[in-house]
Amino acid sequence: MRRVAVTGMGVVSPLGNSAQAAFEAARDGRSGIGFIDTPFARRLVAPIAATAQFDGAAWFEPLKLRMLDRVSQFAVVAANQALANANANANINTDTDWAQMDRSRVGVFVGTGMGGTLSNDDGYKTLYADGSDRIKPFTVLAGMHNAPAAWIGLEHGLTGPNLTYSTACSSSAVAMGEAWLRVASGAVDMAIAGGSEAPLSFGSMKAWEALHTLAAVDIDAPAASCKPFSKNRTGMVLGEGAAMLVLEAWDSAVARGASIQGELLGYGLTTDAGHITRPSVVGQAAAMSAALRSAGLDLSAVDAINAHGTGTQANDAVETAAIKAVFGARACQIPVSATKALHGHLLGAAGALECVLSLLAMQHQVVLPTLHLLLPDPECDLDYVPNLARHHVPVRTMLSNSFAFGGTNAVLVLRASS
Amino acid sequence: MTTTFERLRAILIKDYKFTPDLLVLEAPLEELGIDSLGTAELLFNIEDEFGVTLPPDAVQLTTLGDVVGFIDDLIVTQRKNQVQTDPVADFALPAV
Repeated sequence: MRRVAVTGMGVVSPLGNSAQAAFEAARDGRSGIGFIDTPFARRLVAPIAATAQFDGAAWFEPLKLRMLDRVSQFAVVAANQALANANANANINTDTDWAQMDRSRVGVFVGTGMGGTLSNDDGYKTLYADGSDRIKPFTVLAGMHNAPAAWIGLEHGLTGPNLTYSTACSSSAVAMGEAWLRVASGAVDMAIAGGSEAPLSFGSMKAWEALHTLAAVDIDAPAASCKPFSKNRTGMVLGEGAAMLVLEAWDSAVARGASIQGELLGYGLTTDAGHITRPSVVGQAAAMSAALRSAGLDLSAVDAINAHGTGTQANDAVETAAIKAVFGARACQIPVSATKALHGHLLGAAGALECVLSLLAMQHQVVLPTLHLLLPDPECDLDYVPNLARHHVPVRTMLSNSFAFGGTNAVLVLRASS
Repeated sequence: MTTTFERLRAILIKDYKFTPDLLVLEAPLEELGIDSLGTAELLFNIEDEFGVTLPPDAVQLTTLGDVVGFIDDLIVTQRKNQVQTDPVADFALPAV
């Protein structure tokens, strides 16, 4: 197996539209959650979300934009950033190896939970609400789950594997893990891997609301409505955005002088097969252990954990128990960060965004805080780095947890660039 | 009276953000970036503007002028059909 370097990162998110901007907001505790300004907001119990400040018209030609759901717009912009960041984009630097690179050796691996749900929702509105038969001709193209990955491949002429993973909230962690496997095994030399999600349609938000997983609005501080690991947590807040990473065979990344931002060391994947929504201590713990095994690391190597930490009653208690099950007495000494308090739950893009934040945190020797944690919960008694980042902490190796409805648990092992 | 071409140009400028100078009758659709899929979408969008219904089968259109001709033909045909479906007019016309 080959070592796999992360050489580029791109982000569109409620915390800003670059990896660095998102990291700084996560570090400084600036929330991307707030009331949403949309006509259907008055029909939502909790009219809050984490929205990205993003206008596709600023990024795409009008003709092309007509074919792109917001989820694909996010994905392409984040992938372009990541490639530019990897200094691998022919438009950025024509004398890099990118121009000569065999693009059949480059794969695209994208996670999305809900695909082009905005376009589908718009089509349903035409048919069912407006009673019109004039559903737009591009509805299928915009709505299909593999559109974000396909557009990334089209944009850069990448003819290697182009795959879409939909495992709900672990989709992008799975996409990164599967990309890692293929780069490590030599099936591809480079991968663009990550996730994209644009779930803030009326239909989708009402469906999430009906499932009773969404947070109530914190009347005093709407931006603080998502409170992972806090006793008074009431649920998750939906978020939108994309995060893409360029993964590359370590030796060729070094040979071409790429700036290495970190290393993907391992990937653990398990399935609960217990309940469609209820998380499982055993399944989550098994995924963390499997990730460490695949990285060839023992428990003592883990310096910090990026939690799945959604802010739901069930997830946070179960994840705490799972971390304890894996790490035993040492669990209390490992800082555990839940950044969803700030960027909300990006569903199929969450794992990739959290990997980007974790890699940058390690680069800057920062442990990211878990915001809005003011009431300790006896069931959640780990070190969650409450409310304030820690600086000058030499964190070298992290786990990033992503757990999903459907029971797909994916854990990635990340190492800082040295 | 506004011509079909002028109305088509107005849509292409407003909704598709085209530079007006590019929109001449001879302009090939492909050169404007409108491929066969894009043409199908464009035709969908002009149905309302011109009050016509597209035929189910695909059409081959190469230039903006072809689109104008296609719309004009549709308008004429569908107006005639409306007349045909009128029971009195139907009676007066020879059976085909």
